[in-house]
Amino acid sequence: MTTTSPDITGITRRKVQVQNNFERRAFLFMRVSGIALLFLAVGHMMIQHVLNSSTNLSIIFVAEQWNSWGWKVYDMLLLGFAYLHGMNGFRNVLEDYIHNRSAIKIINIFLAVFAVITIIWAGYAIAAFNPEAAIQAVGG
Amino acid sequence: MSNLVLTIRESIRYRGRSGHWSWVAHRISGLAILLFLTIHVWDTANAHFAPNVYQWSVDVFKWPPVAIGEIPLMAAVLYHAFNGIRISILDYKPELWKHQKKSTQITWGLFLIIFVPIGIYMAYEMVHYWQELGDAWMKFPRLSDY
Repeated sequence: MTTTSPDITGITRRKVQVQNNFERRAFLFMRVSGIALLFLAVGHMMIQHVLNSSTNLSIIFVAEQWNSWGWKVYDMLLLGFAYLHGMNGFRNVLEDYIHNRSAIKIINIFLAVFAVITIIWAGYAIAAFNPEAAIQAVGG
Repeated sequence: MSNLVLTIRESIRYRGRSGHWSWVAHRISGLAILLFLTIHVWDTANAHFAPNVYQWSVDVFKWPPVAIGEIPLMAAVLYHAFNGIRISILDYKPELWKHQKKSTQITWGLFLIIFVPIGIYMAYEMVHYWQELGDAWMKFPRLSDY
């Protein structure tokens, strides 16, 4: 299908064999996680910053929310999608400006390891969070 | 370092018009969100690992110079989300490319319509909270107090 219009030279549709490599999967992940984050991240901002106010955020508030597995799963999904989406985006930005192949390889390994450690550390914290223990720890 | 200066200078000088400014805004908002997200994720993990440190850092986030950043954060998330939808739709439907300029205008419009009232509301809530604190509103929380 071609479209002609005065301000563009016309669009030619071509069949391109797309390799199923890492870059393609990373691209698809950005799209899929982007759609998920449209609900998870924008929803998180609306719930925490508009419906609730961050001025009354405290360990008590966290203990109330993470008392249910529903919120725990929500936050774990948000964590995983958001952090990988952000880190892959960061990788794309860096690869636009750093052209030294061995340097970018080292940076990518560092970013990947850091992302995985972050997600495991925070994911474990969410899963293991115990409301009573946390409130007790702050003397509440 | 000269590479960074070149990058920034050319990002401003490049005359790609509306689509170019969307690209710049998408990049900056994405990087800003990632920076906050990294701090936020490690900090929130403290709710489990060190609840008293978490209590302190929550109060650091409420300290006015830090708290004010919540508003541009909301702007960054909303713009990045809306512009992300725009990019996805245009990638999927090349026949819409002739509406590039219009698509960026719709994105900015939608962003402003949703962000401005929310931003005003957040600022209002924040000022109200500082008024309640009275003289202590600017006091920086000390970790040893928690």
